[in-house]
Amino acid sequence: MSLAEPTALPVTTSVSPRLHILKRFTTGFKASLPAYLLLLPSLVFLALFTYGAMGRVLIDALYQRATPKAPVRFVGLDNIGAVLADSAFTGAVVNNLIYAVGTAIPSIALALLFALALSRTNAVTSVLRAALFLPVLIPMVAASALFLFIFLPNVGLLDYYIGRLLPVLPNWLGDSDIALYAIMIITIWKNAGYYMLFFLAGLQAVPEDVMEAAHLDGAGPFQRLRHIILPELKPTFLFVTVIATLNAVTQVDHVFVLTQGGPSNATNLVLFYIYQQAVEHYDIGKASAATLLTLAALMGLTALSFRTMANREGGA
Amino acid sequence: MLFSRRLMLGLAIAGTMAGALAFPAQAEGPTEIDLFFPVPVDGKLARDMGTLIKEFNETHPAIKATAVYTGSYDDTLIKTRASIKAGKPPAAVIMSANFLLDMQIENELTNLDSLIAADGTSKDQFLGQFFPALQGNAVISRSVYGVPFHNSTPLLYINADQAKEAGLDPNKPPQTWAELTDWAKKLTKREGDKVTRWGIAIPCAYDYCGWMMETLTMTNGGRYYNEEFGGEVYYDTPSMQGALTWWNDLIAKHKVHPPGATPGPAVSTSFISGNAAMMMLSTGSLTYVRDNAKFAYKVAFIPRNVRNAVPIGGASLIIPAGLEADKQKAAWTLIKWMTSPEKSAWWSRATGYFAPNMAAYKTPDMVDFLSKNPDAKTAVEQLDVAKPWFATYKTVPVRKTLEDEVMLVLNGKKQPKEALVAAQKAADELLKPYNAETALKLP
Repeated sequence: MSLAEPTALPVTTSVSPRLHILKRFTTGFKASLPAYLLLLPSLVFLALFTYGAMGRVLIDALYQRATPKAPVRFVGLDNIGAVLADSAFTGAVVNNLIYAVGTAIPSIALALLFALALSRTNAVTSVLRAALFLPVLIPMVAASALFLFIFLPNVGLLDYYIGRLLPVLPNWLGDSDIALYAIMIITIWKNAGYYMLFFLAGLQAVPEDVMEAAHLDGAGPFQRLRHIILPELKPTFLFVTVIATLNAVTQVDHVFVLTQGGPSNATNLVLFYIYQQAVEHYDIGKASAATLLTLAALMGLTALSFRTMANREGGA
Repeated sequence: MLFSRRLMLGLAIAGTMAGALAFPAQAEGPTEIDLFFPVPVDGKLARDMGTLIKEFNETHPAIKATAVYTGSYDDTLIKTRASIKAGKPPAAVIMSANFLLDMQIENELTNLDSLIAADGTSKDQFLGQFFPALQGNAVISRSVYGVPFHNSTPLLYINADQAKEAGLDPNKPPQTWAELTDWAKKLTKREGDKVTRWGIAIPCAYDYCGWMMETLTMTNGGRYYNEEFGGEVYYDTPSMQGALTWWNDLIAKHKVHPPGATPGPAVSTSFISGNAAMMMLSTGSLTYVRDNAKFAYKVAFIPRNVRNAVPIGGASLIIPAGLEADKQKAAWTLIKWMTSPEKSAWWSRATGYFAPNMAAYKTPDMVDFLSKNPDAKTAVEQLDVAKPWFATYKTVPVRKTLEDEVMLVLNGKKQPKEALVAAQKAADELLKPYNAETALKLP
C-alpha cells in the first residue's frame, strides 16, 4: 500500500455525479481526440461515398413521379410495394437464390478438394496452384467475353467437342432452361481458385502434432479429414461462405455481357434488375427501393455471420 | 510583424486562384466541346473517329472538340443522362435513332429548329439532304431533334456456294416467305435427326430481337408502333401474330432454324463458318462479312409475305438540353461538318453503315467504292421501302416486354398468340402514365 491512495479518494467523492460524468466525458474526448483526428479523412470519404450514397438511396426510394412530366412527390413505401409486387423482381430473387446456392456449394467443394490435393508445396503443386488461380486474375468482363465464344451454339468450343456426344446441340445461353446454369458454370470456374487460397491458408493452421498423433493412433485419411481437418477449417468455411454469398449478389458482369438477364428473364439477378429499373425504365424510385431491400438482406446476412463468428470465438 | 511572409504568400496564392475562378481560361482559347460516341459494331470505329475529329480540329481553330468513347448504344444513353443530371452535358452525342423520342419526352434534347433557321435554311431544305426514310426518327412533333449520322437496314445474307450446291440460283434470291422457307428446307443438312447445317438463322437477343420482329411484322403488312404518337404499340395484331408464327414454324415445324434465342454475333459466326446457309442481319455487319467470308455470298432484300418493307436502324447526332450558347453553336458546326456529303461518305466506307446524306453517293470516292463493292448498294436500294425504327415512351422496357415473350415462343414454351397477348398487356401497363398525360388527358 502506498500513501498516495487514501489522499486521492476524497477528491473523487467530493465532485457531484453530474460534473463527474461531464468531466469523464471531456477527459475521455480529449484523450481520444487524436484518434478522431486521424480517422477524420477516412470518415469524410466514407460519409461522402458510402453513407451519403446510402442516405440518398433512402430518400430516392420514398419519391416517385406520377406521369413523365410531373414533378416527383413523396409516396412513402409505395415504391417498395411496387417492387415486391413486380414478378420480374421476385423472379430475380428466386434466380439469385438458385444462383447463390448453385455457385457457392460447388465452388467451395471444389476449392476444398483442390486445397487438400495441393496442400504440400513442391514444384508440381505450385504450377497446379497457379493454374487453378489463373481464372481469378482474369477480369469477369474479359472472362465473359471468352465464354461468349465457348458457348456459341453449334460452332462454339463446347458444342464442337460435346456436340458429337449429344443428340441435340444445346443453345447454352439462348435456352431459358439452361442459361442460368451456363452462367453458374462461369462463376464456379472463376471463383473456385480464389476460395482454394483460403483453404490452403486454413490447412496451414491445422496443428501438425494432432495430425501425427491421430496417424499413430491408426486414424485413416478419411477419419483424419472428418475429425481433425474439417473441424479446424470451420472458420474458413464460414468466411468463404459469406464471401461466396456476397459474390452471388454483387457480381453480375457476366449477366451483363452474356445474356442481359435473358432469355425471358431466365438469368435476371437482383443487381441486374436494379440496373434495369434505374437505366432502362429510368425509374429511380423503384431502383432505390430494390436497392434498399437488397441492402437490408445483405446487412442481415452479414450481421448473422458475424454473430456466428463471434459466438464461435467466445465459445472456443 | 502583422503580415508574416508566409501569410503574404498564402494571400497571393489565394488571390491567383480566385482570379482563375472568376475569369475562366476559355474566354480566350477555342471553345472546348465533347462528343460522346458509341461503338455498336465490330471494327476499328474508335480509331476512325479519332481521325475524323482531328481533321475537324485542324480545319476549325475556334473549336476544340474531343471525342469521348461511351460504350454501346445503351451505355451512351446512360452516360449522356448521367452528365445531363450532373449539369455538365456533352455538346453532342451520337445517339441510337430510336432513343430520341424517349429523350424528347424527358426534356433532354435541344430543339434544332432555331439553329437551322439561324443558318438561313428552311427545315425542308435541311431535311431534304437525307433519305426520307430517316426523317421519321429525327423529327418529333414537326421539330428537328436529331441529324442522321450512320444508318442501317436488315438484309438477307446468302451463302452463294452452298446455294449453288443445293441447286438454287443465288442470283435469283428468295423474294417471298414461301420461297425463303423452300430455300431454307433445301439448304438444311441433316444426319438422322441431327442438323449439321441450318437453312436460315435470325438473331434474337435484347435489342436485335425487337428490330427483327419489327422487320418481319412490316413485311407481313403490319406496323410495330404508332409512328405519330409514342403511347401505342401493336403487338396483339394479326400481322405480328403471323410474323411470330412463321418464325416459330421455321424452328418447330420445318426445323430449318436453330431453336432458342440466338444473339447477333452467334448468327454471324454461324454464317461465316458455313453452319448457317442464310441469315437476316444488319447492313452494319456487311464489312465484317466481306472481310471474313471465305466463300461467295449474296445480299438481298428481306423477303415479303404481304409487302416489301424494313425498319431503319443506326444513330443520329443530337445536342443535349441545358448547354451554354457558345457550346451549342460549336456543336452545331461540328454536326453539320460530320454529316456533310464527303465526311458522311468517308464514314460509310469505314464502317459499313450507309451514308444518310444522299449527296454522299454522288462523291467520286463513293461512286468508285460502289462499283467495286456492288453489295453495298443493296442496303441503299432497300431504303425506298424503309420506314422509321420503333420509338415510344420508355422505348427499351416496352420493347423488352415483346422480346421476353418472343424468346419464350422460340424456346417452345408458349404459343405465339398467348405470348403476344401477354406482351401487349405488359407494354400497355408501361405506357399508361404517358397516355394519362397525353391521349387520355381530356378537357
